[in-house]
Amino acid sequence: MENIVEMRGVTKRFPGVVANDDISLKIRRGEIFALLGENGAGKSTLMSMLFGLYEPDEGEIFIRGERVRITSPTFAAGLSIGMVHQHFRLVENFTIAENIVLGAEPVRRKLGFLPYVDMRAAGAKIAELSRRYGLEVEPEAVIEDVGISIRQRVEILKMLYREAEILIFDEPTAMLAPQEIEYLLQILKNLRESGKTVILITHKLEEIKKTADRCGILSRGKLVGVYDVAETSTDEMASLMVGRELAGEAAPEEHEFGAEVLRVEKLDVIRDRMKKVDGVSFSVREGEIFAVAGVDGNGQTELTDAIAGLLRSSGGAVTLGGEDLTRADVRERMEKGISYVPEDRHGVGLLLDFTLGDNLTMRRYYEEPFSRRGIRDERAIAEYADRLIERYDIRSGRGYSTVVRSMSGGNQQKAIVAREIELDSRLLIFVQPTRGLDIGATRAIHEHILNQRAAGKAILLVSLELEEILALADTIGVMYGGRMNRVAAARELSIDEVGAYMTGVRQ
Amino acid sequence: MDTVIIDGLSFMMPLLCIAVGGIYSERSGVTNLALEGLLGAGAFVGALFVAFFGKLFPETSSAPMYFAMAASVVGGAVYAMLHGLLCVKFRANQVISGVVINILAVALTTFLTREINSGVFQAPSDKIQLGVSPRFDVPGLSKIPVLGAVFKSVYPFQVVILVVIIIAWYALYRTRFGMRLRACGDNPHAVDAAGINVQRTRFLAVMISGALSGLGGISFAYSFSANFSASIYVGAGYLAIAALIFGNWKIVPTVGACLLFGLARSGGYKLVQLLALPSSYSDLIMILPYVVTLLLLIFFSGTNRAPRALGEIYDKGKR
Repeated sequence: MENIVEMRGVTKRFPGVVANDDISLKIRRGEIFALLGENGAGKSTLMSMLFGLYEPDEGEIFIRGERVRITSPTFAAGLSIGMVHQHFRLVENFTIAENIVLGAEPVRRKLGFLPYVDMRAAGAKIAELSRRYGLEVEPEAVIEDVGISIRQRVEILKMLYREAEILIFDEPTAMLAPQEIEYLLQILKNLRESGKTVILITHKLEEIKKTADRCGILSRGKLVGVYDVAETSTDEMASLMVGRELAGEAAPEEHEFGAEVLRVEKLDVIRDRMKKVDGVSFSVREGEIFAVAGVDGNGQTELTDAIAGLLRSSGGAVTLGGEDLTRADVRERMEKGISYVPEDRHGVGLLLDFTLGDNLTMRRYYEEPFSRRGIRDERAIAEYADRLIERYDIRSGRGYSTVVRSMSGGNQQKAIVAREIELDSRLLIFVQPTRGLDIGATRAIHEHILNQRAAGKAILLVSLELEEILALADTIGVMYGGRMNRVAAARELSIDEVGAYMTGVRQ
Repeated sequence: MDTVIIDGLSFMMPLLCIAVGGIYSERSGVTNLALEGLLGAGAFVGALFVAFFGKLFPETSSAPMYFAMAASVVGGAVYAMLHGLLCVKFRANQVISGVVINILAVALTTFLTREINSGVFQAPSDKIQLGVSPRFDVPGLSKIPVLGAVFKSVYPFQVVILVVIIIAWYALYRTRFGMRLRACGDNPHAVDAAGINVQRTRFLAVMISGALSGLGGISFAYSFSANFSASIYVGAGYLAIAALIFGNWKIVPTVGACLLFGLARSGGYKLVQLLALPSSYSDLIMILPYVVTLLLLIFFSGTNRAPRALGEIYDKGKR
């Protein structure tokens, strides 16, 4: 088969890191080529060079056998290369159709002289494309009113509208729900059927197994090799990716719990005039991982936000070690012993434009030794941050002075986890702690959670992924429609049972 | 009642023109506090044209006025390039740039007016005489009771501005350029990814805002003050900003906001007359439009939303 893309000795350096180190690979026309690697392994950087966002420092790129210098996304588009980024680039107050045509607007003239953008013609072409590839969208809907899955379809349609042949997807499933992932993978296959070349950047092995033909594995900026997906097991791929053998995760062993730490009684939370949490009661003991299972949007976030003090509860009580904290503010709860790894990392968890050091000390900046008499002690902050960076393996270009925005998602999350664990709280709340993270980072965070349990901490874990819950939980509570429908020891519940409660089949 | 409507509208149209200029700039993502300076600089260039070439035309001709309007459009656009250069090219802070441009405009035009008057015309003065624009009644329509006042004593510039606003509306909402401009103010990254030059689009938007402000400025000079002097800088630019914010950065609601401000102002003057208050009170009444703005913003600003990327310097590297 013909090689549509070829890279020879491509190297890209950023201040402090070599993102891509002498990478050579060939991608064939009409295949789904997966690019596998941990967060920060250089997958996105490599593909950004193909898309013209960066230019390589060294090396050559060939498209359809011809050497090219891809200087801009426009130039890439001219070579029919399109990319769906992890963070979508959509104009929020525009309709879906307007977003798709932006930059390639069909202009016609009214009465022979008045130029205008012919949205009707655009709409017809979009409708035709959605039919052909099975991408259902409502062209007149405004972007700010539609969800992530639809936005992603718009990004795909944008590429197809421009007749792209080489389609790059940067971790397209990171933010999607399970059924949306299935939908997307089907679309990738549809694209391959119609002769498009698909490059899939991911760290999820099952997706590669399900869709890809071949898989290139990157580790710390270097290409480990290119493998035939049908002939390589997921275990092999995983160990190639992290560059070491991974031990399977140990199933939680039976053990005794200590005294009750968190007690939630008949908690109600109202948000946007809707009762998101409805009379929820449960308790978490020392040495126990209490996992909340449920489909996204059934009140889990509101529940943990209310326990951490970010949302005010409208009824019920929250007590920690017998002390009533229902009316306490966030700082008081933290000082009394609640750590919180929130779902919304960028919105709540981090100050993206502040340094890693500032973020790691964000919960304690006002205490000694980080500040004395109201004056910050930069050296104490730096020393503390360096210790955490080392202990939690947080990778960053410039150590504690790295601006957090420039770090990869996995390392941002490691920073939050490090900060919260180091508070040494009695209760730790983790909401979706491994969403969008690669295997290495996920394992590391699971290990931290298990260590905290071993140290006798009470842990409240919210996850949308059943595997994660089953791997970690001592006790499982299932939420549906704001209620905690079922609470039971993990070993007493089967996956099917949890699934039935999650979806409201059983109540 | 008639005078309230007539004066209200003749104040409203230049204000609207400036506000629409502001909308162009802000919808592209560039904060424009410089409207005040842009309208002044534009009007100054128009006035210069009259000062130098006005005598070439017959006394009664209104041609100089139209040439002055054209000159103001060009002058405003050129002066706005400074804002564009600072904010778009050199990524300066847009608020600071706007304020500096306002201060610079007052200083520069006052200085140049005096220098040119004494140097070229040997008549030391800080004004450039313009004369007052002629006015006309629309036959027929002006006879309608009450609302006929809309068509009475109309300044020609009101008609010019009306046409310009309609073109501006069409360009912003129906053409490719307008679509790209609005996209720049919401998510420049999306625009860049679509292969459109964000900086050029924003620069053009700022120039258009200068052109429209200049047209608004010279219209004020030809109606209220009958000359160009520092008295042109009385806050119309800031009022236009208030109007466009109140109009939610959309042209049609901004028309309503400007109408309200125009009528509040002319109504205030009428009130001073009716109550036979000493003239010193008229200054107090002058703040009426601003008080109205303040009150309305308190009640309505909750639903208003600025362009998402307003004031954000476009930086490709930011995630």
